[in-house]
Amino acid sequence: MTLPRALAGVRVLDFTWVRAGPWATRWLGAFGADIVKIEWPEHLDILRSNRTTIPPGMDPSPNAPGQFADTNVNKRGVTINVRMPRGLELIKRLITISDVVIENFSSRVMRNWGIGYDVMQQLKADIIYVSMAGFGHTGRHHHYTTMGPSAQALSGQTFLSGLPGKPPAGWGWSYLDDTGGMYGAMCVLTALHHRNATGQGQHIDLSQMTAGITLTGAAFLDHTVNGRAARREGYPPGNRTAWPGTAPVNNYRGPTVAPHNAYRTQGGGHNDWCVIACLSDAEWQTLVDLMGRPGWATDAKFGKLSGRLQHQEELDEGIERWTHTIDKYELTEKCQAVGVRAMPVQSAEDRVERDPQLKARGMYPELDHPLLGRRKVQSVPFKHSKTPAAVHRPAPLIGQHTRQVLQELLGLSLDDIRAGYTDGTFWPKDMPLHHYIEETLR
Amino acid sequence: MTAAADVGTSGSPTGPLAGLRVLELADEKGQFCGKLMADLGADVIKIEPPGGQHTRAVGPFLNDIPHRERSLSFWHYNTSKRGITLNLNTSEGRGLFHRLVPTADILLETYPPGYLPGLGLEYEELSRLNPRLIMCSLTPFGQTGPWRDYQTSDLLQLAAGGQMGCCGYDPEDVPDAPPIAPGGGNAWHIGSHFAYIAIMAAVCYRDVTGEGQYIDASVHEACALTTEAAIPTYIYTGNVVQRHTGRAAAVEKSEPTQYITRDGSWLNTTRSGFNLTPARLRRLAEWMDKYGLAQDLLDEKYQSPAAIQANVSHIAAALETFFAGIPLEEAWHGGQKLGLPWGAIRCMDEIIADQHLQDREFFTEVPHPELGRSFTYPGPAALYSKSPWRISRRAPLIGEHNAELFCGELGLSQAELVVLAESGVV
Repeated sequence: MTLPRALAGVRVLDFTWVRAGPWATRWLGAFGADIVKIEWPEHLDILRSNRTTIPPGMDPSPNAPGQFADTNVNKRGVTINVRMPRGLELIKRLITISDVVIENFSSRVMRNWGIGYDVMQQLKADIIYVSMAGFGHTGRHHHYTTMGPSAQALSGQTFLSGLPGKPPAGWGWSYLDDTGGMYGAMCVLTALHHRNATGQGQHIDLSQMTAGITLTGAAFLDHTVNGRAARREGYPPGNRTAWPGTAPVNNYRGPTVAPHNAYRTQGGGHNDWCVIACLSDAEWQTLVDLMGRPGWATDAKFGKLSGRLQHQEELDEGIERWTHTIDKYELTEKCQAVGVRAMPVQSAEDRVERDPQLKARGMYPELDHPLLGRRKVQSVPFKHSKTPAAVHRPAPLIGQHTRQVLQELLGLSLDDIRAGYTDGTFWPKDMPLHHYIEETLR
Repeated sequence: MTAAADVGTSGSPTGPLAGLRVLELADEKGQFCGKLMADLGADVIKIEPPGGQHTRAVGPFLNDIPHRERSLSFWHYNTSKRGITLNLNTSEGRGLFHRLVPTADILLETYPPGYLPGLGLEYEELSRLNPRLIMCSLTPFGQTGPWRDYQTSDLLQLAAGGQMGCCGYDPEDVPDAPPIAPGGGNAWHIGSHFAYIAIMAAVCYRDVTGEGQYIDASVHEACALTTEAAIPTYIYTGNVVQRHTGRAAAVEKSEPTQYITRDGSWLNTTRSGFNLTPARLRRLAEWMDKYGLAQDLLDEKYQSPAAIQANVSHIAAALETFFAGIPLEEAWHGGQKLGLPWGAIRCMDEIIADQHLQDREFFTEVPHPELGRSFTYPGPAALYSKSPWRISRRAPLIGEHNAELFCGELGLSQAELVVLAESGVV
């Protein structure tokens, strides 16, 4: 028996590219919406031309990058040239039978194509249009462009990451592309419910950079309410809650405690680290017992939180003398068995191969891809009792579903479709066709 | 311009989630999900234990004076909600909770797995009271698996989730640096974002079918999904990314992307090579020349993509000198004017002055009537054309809406409420 999907019957016309937008529609697809991804081979999605995730030995092609494949599961792929009148007309017909249009271009692209929100509304009165520009569609800098790192910088996210007196450590990936994608999906789902309740569609003008500001937590209010300057000595305090001798505001992630840091574990490799946090004096005493009550740890100065905060250098050195001889997973088990908060720092390999929790929860199922073969894929982080979300379809090869979609949704004949390939509507005239597309035209 | 918080004036458009009621039994792990729903118009009723939730003991505090009504962290994460107190460990408390469940659309809870079932409040029981109920349990590791009962914190989740494995320093910047967990409480934000979409998908399904359901959401899985290319890089190439200062963790070493400016602040140029085309390099060099800092970059010999690629280090060195000679504000706006996606590494002091954000009425004045003051809060990330996303009120005081809910809605008398308070039920 197949279980129902939460968004069965919802169609999303998906103009998104690179990371943030496609990450949004990945989730709508996981809930069962029909995601129709519109692409054009002369303006390739950057993830299709990225080479760093192409399997070793495989020829570069738009279908080879693993990062594209993982980001774009659950979608159908169509190539249409929006800049040709025939292409634009077909896009407009697709809008009339869609519930949602979503894109993450800079702020004026859709309007310049002749499909701004006003046009969409004429085509489909209750259309939901989500735009995901870095700075949004209004405001004096709407035309500014961002990528994850600059959005993180401008939103305050980068500033909160690092050691005092050092350059910002920032985020080692485009966190605000991942998060921008979450907000894109949130906006679509919120607007779908609003439409279900009221019959109204709307335009949602998301600014990815702006989303990041609220995620600095209480840092914003600490400035606007308390007037505390962010550029101050001992801040940001790395992994600690506060740098010894400075204002204890805990980098806006919880109570001010010690120990609270990363420690080397056995092996000495790049990711042979664990973290330990003791949120109370009692938790600290449990850790002291677990370490075998070494002399340094039983010193009265570490007995109370204020002393541990003051003597963090000595505290952290002592703890690391214990952790650095133990495997990070073994250490985690030892600590957690007695209620000490500890976790391994995990690499991607650790998460996929060693993490027993992700394994038990089925986080990396396998999926067949027509070019890349059978591969693990990132699944979903929630289990619905009635409408389970899932990775159910591999990422589309470029142009893979053009015929299928146009025949099924718009009723085009095979002759119409062949004509579109001849006149450059469905594929650039001077670009050779992939064999899988040729097969669809027979 | 600054937006004023909607103080309930009639006739103003309501948020997109107006009409939905959420019962929130969520602490630091899920209160941000509740805030998103509340700011988007849902009636979120935060249920705290008598005396207030432990999240009220988290600083910073108003004027650094610790008090359960002065936690700025609590203020931030609980805007637009109503607040009641209820002791679920008493049978009377559970009785009142049973009466609230039929009025709710969504129950969001973050208790350790097994805690609510131990009180007889598992989904199967609650759905008998309200078959339309959507219940989401957002927990550190989910309801099943070997880590289900493990203790945790934001730092621990960012370690296990993979965030720390990606964030840190080049050895040239900080020798032997540890992996770094960025601040702000982002493990809980990441979990709350995924919980939000999980719940809203269930709401959309219920809109069509009338059926509620149960959702088991895991912060660990949400974090494990939030490291962009790290997992696909491993799956497809077998390689593990290494940490670099302020830029993408990568398999191979890359050029720096952060530059210090004249005022000692940092500029982020997004990626090595600065996204430079010959035309952009020409315009960049013309701009640098106005400061007398173009060096030889106006030379024709750099006018090809291959030449730019071959001279990236030289261009970087010239830019490093240039940035060091101009203020941060000029640097990032100048780059944007050339079409380069550069950004200033800002802190709140600069963000609050951003006129673009003012144009979009991002900054929201929220009255705190009991203090006789208003404070500026971060507002909406998105502008909804028909149903505004906005903060409707400050976070609730402890038990602020007890009378409104227990007397006004459930029909208890004031005297009964007094007895319940004295006996530790509310």
